[in-house]
Amino acid sequence: MIKYAFKRLLQSLLTLFIVVSFVFLLMRLLPIEGYFGDRFQKMSPGEVEAGLQKMGLLDPWYAQLGKFYAGLAKGDLGVSFIYRRDVAVTKIIAPRIPYSMGFGLTAVAIAMISGLAMGVGMAKNKGLFPDKLGTLYIVFVHAVPLAVYLLFVQLYGSSLLGLPILFDKHRPVSWILPGISMSLNGIAFYAMWMRRYMVDELNKDYIKLARAKGLPNGAIMVKHVMRNAYVPLAQYLPAAILATIGGSIYIESLYSIPGMGGLLVDVIQRQDNSMVQALVLIFSSVGIIGLFLGDLLMALFDPRIKLVKSEGAR
Amino acid sequence: MKAPDQAATLAADAALFEFADYDAGEGERGGYSNYSYWKSTTKMFLAKKTSLFFLVLLGALLFFTFVQPFVPGQRSPTTIFQDPATGMQFRNVTPGAQFWFGTNSIGQDLWSRIWSGTRTSLLIGLTVGLAEMLIGIAFGAVWGYVRRLDRVMTEIYNVLDNIPTTVLLMLLAYIMRPSFKTMVFAMCAVGWLGLARFVRNQIVIIRDREYNLASRCLGTPARRIVLRNILPYLVSVIMLQTALSIPGTIGWEVFLTYIGLGLPVQIPSLGNLVNEGRMIMMSPELRYQLIFPTVITSLITISFYVLGNSFSDASDPRNHV
Amino acid sequence: MGNETNILEVRDLVIRFSLRGRNLTAIRGASLSLAEGETLAIVGESGSGKSVLVKSFIGMLDQNGRVDAGSILFEGAELAGRKTEEDWLPIRGRKISMVFQDPMTSLNPLLKVGRQIEEVLELHRGLSGKAASLAAVEMLDRVGIIDPQRRAGQYPHEFSGGMRQRVVIAMAVACQPRILICDEPTTALDVTIQAQILGLIKALQRDFAFTTIYITHDLGVVANVADRVAVMYAGKIVETGTAEEVFYDPRHPYTWALLSSLPQLGVKGHPLYSISGTPPNLFREIKGDAFAPRNPKALKIDFEREPPMFEVSPTHRAATWLLDPRAPRLQPPEAIRALRAKYLEAEA
Repeated sequence: MIKYAFKRLLQSLLTLFIVVSFVFLLMRLLPIEGYFGDRFQKMSPGEVEAGLQKMGLLDPWYAQLGKFYAGLAKGDLGVSFIYRRDVAVTKIIAPRIPYSMGFGLTAVAIAMISGLAMGVGMAKNKGLFPDKLGTLYIVFVHAVPLAVYLLFVQLYGSSLLGLPILFDKHRPVSWILPGISMSLNGIAFYAMWMRRYMVDELNKDYIKLARAKGLPNGAIMVKHVMRNAYVPLAQYLPAAILATIGGSIYIESLYSIPGMGGLLVDVIQRQDNSMVQALVLIFSSVGIIGLFLGDLLMALFDPRIKLVKSEGAR
Repeated sequence: MKAPDQAATLAADAALFEFADYDAGEGERGGYSNYSYWKSTTKMFLAKKTSLFFLVLLGALLFFTFVQPFVPGQRSPTTIFQDPATGMQFRNVTPGAQFWFGTNSIGQDLWSRIWSGTRTSLLIGLTVGLAEMLIGIAFGAVWGYVRRLDRVMTEIYNVLDNIPTTVLLMLLAYIMRPSFKTMVFAMCAVGWLGLARFVRNQIVIIRDREYNLASRCLGTPARRIVLRNILPYLVSVIMLQTALSIPGTIGWEVFLTYIGLGLPVQIPSLGNLVNEGRMIMMSPELRYQLIFPTVITSLITISFYVLGNSFSDASDPRNHV
Repeated sequence: MGNETNILEVRDLVIRFSLRGRNLTAIRGASLSLAEGETLAIVGESGSGKSVLVKSFIGMLDQNGRVDAGSILFEGAELAGRKTEEDWLPIRGRKISMVFQDPMTSLNPLLKVGRQIEEVLELHRGLSGKAASLAAVEMLDRVGIIDPQRRAGQYPHEFSGGMRQRVVIAMAVACQPRILICDEPTTALDVTIQAQILGLIKALQRDFAFTTIYITHDLGVVANVADRVAVMYAGKIVETGTAEEVFYDPRHPYTWALLSSLPQLGVKGHPLYSISGTPPNLFREIKGDAFAPRNPKALKIDFEREPPMFEVSPTHRAATWLLDPRAPRLQPPEAIRALRAKYLEAEA
């Protein structure tokens, strides 16, 4: 187990390193205006060059990469040029994370609990009305673009239910719409996953044997099928939790929530390159770490996994 | 058993107890053959009423979208219309006899804008879908079949996969500056991964199955094995992914437009229309400007999704039992 | 055999499945008797309906299957009409148990082995806690698992195929059923392990005094364990008798063909015998004897009317027109006669 964990850790660090470097280098392609903002129009080519030089952007790429990692080791992600002039990126980001995570974690909790329950209900009533209703919901959430149906939620939530449109941290009632919006997709995901899992498992041989043993259907559902379900679920959980750091880009914008996602939209619209870079790096790293933790959890719960070499692509 | 005429029956019985002529072919006829893959697929696909419904719906929508400009009496989507009497622009006119879908805030005809926008968005969706399919299959096939390249390609995949799609898309659009070409390129660059991984995984599973090993032993070139033995097996999944990528692309388009990285305002697209509608959705009288584009978008995306899934189920040979 | 306590009596059973709107008649009127304490082997090729038949004894037909006619009398109680889960719970695992073919997939991979046996004990013998785990360990010991205490705390993937099958057998006999059904229990195992498993079942049968039904297409297994044999073809039992009667004095042309296919009966230098043709399409009504199209020596009446069961001896029956007094005398094939000759020699 320890060996496996260590091996996966190294793998993740390697991937992390490659991804971060790749993104960093990709950032070199960002439009130059992003470093200067409004001043750019009035600057002469010489001033532009001098400015880039000062920011270290004309150094050879490996030097830039080196300086970046050096700074990273010290916890320094650079300074914002436009969004908040000369304020450290980390200072701008820090207060935003609690908002994103707060909503995100609640959404994950709601989504898992309702989604799994819904999936079980659908599998038990396969082909009947509850199943069809659930399928309708899932089809709708998956087919119609997120950007579209969330608008309806906001629209009808506020006009029919009188809920506030914009987020206000002092009014809990304004937290409802964004919270629900964030969990809608997750509910569909977990419901569909659970339904498919249950239907697949119910066809397996060991379930047939359990039936032949004389176990009533209810006991089979609970003691065998559902009990086995939490193992693969464990794999998704850390990634889902960590993703909340990034927040939901669209929803935070829609409801003006001061979270990480909303920040990304702002800095892209304002063309603040250093902020864009920092945020993209954070979003990317979070995914890798989540996957790593997920694998660890899986190994912990599934007795069959030992030193299995993962066959490449997930 | 009653025998009205004993003698006749006895004679008949005696005849029955003679040996019959043996026809070896009769023995073979027992089997349950008559199976045609495509016939079975089509039958299954059309049997479901929902598939038929959406097929007709989507067909009608697509047909009308592309035929609409040629229908007499259509207006241009970009012209701003003015009331000849007052000289004022026809702003925010509620849907009625003159403008079937009403007009938007600067006086453009919403009906023609919507169909024009649908054309644009569909064009993007179909182009991206096709490109993703070709790139995804090519990459996935090579990745899965050529063992030597497996490690390298897996690493490339892992790197690309770990960057959140939304972020990468935004980044590419940001770097290349919004335009039609940027959109198509960015979405293609981001979307082929999923299909490639799936194709690769499937190929790895079946390339070592006995029938493929047999082909290799007979000297069949790799390209032929991939094309004839392996890919037809993947048809159902590939069709599903492609069908699903279209609603996905439209979704991305709406999202990017909202962020400000979508198509320029002059080109009507579903993304643009939805966003224009969003900005005034709070006033009930103007809400129609949001409802029309979102309903059309929903119908199109749901149709693709349902049809994609239905076809995928129908074309899976395991469901043909 | 006689008419004493037949623990199971199957009469003219008809089982149909609805597939894609059409009906498949998997069992077309099968009849079978099972005497207490004996070992019956049901043989037949794939698709003959052997598994379907025994599954109906514990109500485990697939969703689209149903018993349309006939009766299944178990210790005098009618099983054929039972429809709901509750109806079957008193039977499954308690009165009639089943062992499936593939031990690799029969156990829950994420539950400890001891726990899976305890489950049965809790359910049917009302044991719990310490008592249950002790009994489970004892069962493991009974089926020949070494170091059962430690093994009970392990997971299925830590057991080999043969050992997993032993565990499944332990689960099946833990509650002392009256009938144990083994559906091809050794097909997925090595030949050496096969003999061990068969021996184990025989020993347990002695100790626990149950009746065993074997489903198999392997005549070697039959020769090893069976008291009586029933031959099945296209959803009907075509011949029943003691193992000796069926092997050395078979009367049905299908049994001849089946036995002739044994590679051991092949003559050196001659091609091996195989039955030509394929089993009939069970979606359609079959007229006459189902085996007739594949039988080079079929009578005309075989295509017209279905043969009833004819008695060869009180224990031996076959459903073939050849046993009708009006039929011509037909010698069984060369290979069968040779087999019989060898048997008679040994007996003498």
